[in-house]
Amino acid sequence: MKRRARTFVSNAGLVMGRSFCPFLAIAIIAGAMLWGPWVSLGITVLAFVTAMRYV
Amino acid sequence: MSRDGGTAPVESDRWHILSHPQDLHCVIFHMACLVAYASAFWFYKHPKLVGITGQWSRAAFVATSAILLGWISGINVGVNFHNHSHRRIFTSPFMNRWFGRFWTFSCAWPSFFWEYTHTVHHAKLLGNEDWTLPQRNADGSFESFQRYVLEHWPWRYMVHLRKELISHPTLRRKALSEFAIFAALWSIPFCIDPIMAMWLWVLPQWFGNVWVMGPGMYVQHVGCVRKTPERPVSHSNIFLLKFFNTTMFNIGYHLEHHDNPKVHWSELPELHERLKKELIDGGAHVLPYGYYYASFLLAGDAERKTRFGDQHADYTKT
Repeated sequence: MKRRARTFVSNAGLVMGRSFCPFLAIAIIAGAMLWGPWVSLGITVLAFVTAMRYV
Repeated sequence: MSRDGGTAPVESDRWHILSHPQDLHCVIFHMACLVAYASAFWFYKHPKLVGITGQWSRAAFVATSAILLGWISGINVGVNFHNHSHRRIFTSPFMNRWFGRFWTFSCAWPSFFWEYTHTVHHAKLLGNEDWTLPQRNADGSFESFQRYVLEHWPWRYMVHLRKELISHPTLRRKALSEFAIFAALWSIPFCIDPIMAMWLWVLPQWFGNVWVMGPGMYVQHVGCVRKTPERPVSHSNIFLLKFFNTTMFNIGYHLEHHDNPKVHWSELPELHERLKKELIDGGAHVLPYGYYYASFLLAGDAERKTRFGDQHADYTKT
């Protein structure tokens, strides 16, 4: 059971990792429902600047 | 029943649709991109849901969506579809053809045109006929980063694709039929709302091609020379940041990819480890970061550009 749980977490982590960018985009776009368009724009600019400096 | 107790047949049945188990990530990535576009369209048409109360808040939503959709579209076609163009992800040719058509239209490319462009790049790498890469200055160096990204798509590509595909006697028919399929798919958002399509379809695709795929093409081969027996590993740069390669289908292992284009993207890190000594001895240019920081360096002043020349500490000859 423990082994299965570990495999599941590992696979789920890999799916999230490989598709990190589109999932992040969906979260920021849809997140505007919670925090509005200005905060989403701020997060986008922050993500872009972070990528340019560290990735 | 096989000798292994049935494990192998179950495994092969499970992945019968896909050519390689890891290709599931390619499908998930692409579907997530389409969901992102659909979400942005939905919220644009239902502005109160996302707090759009006027022109300025609409502009904020459009700017956010255009940057993010362009970013993921550039990766989706420039990296993800790119893998499919080398190794088909489905076992069915029909699925490969149609999934491909539904893949590249989200970054304003007919799949056939993109594949042709990439074939030219691999076959003529760094030669005078490789029109996909930056043009050369008199000293042999690449033109400036900014000039390349702003001019290569769609302007330069359009000229070559028109000449080599649309005007080609044998490819013309296929090129035109593929373009017609692309045009039909690409026009869907315009049927929903033409203004929305300009902001959340055309603008992101411009961003994806110009500011995501363009920089990628630039950094992969800047400072490199055509492959020769004397310099066999100086035709591409290698980018080793783990986070970058995990989220970008291992595109950082670019030298290994050009030398072994049929190796599956998920197997490139292992191939890299096997070739490590050869790469160090041959003087391959290896960098400890990804394309984004490389673009930041190459878009800067002379001092910043010089830093791009620094070698990864683990890959220097002792």
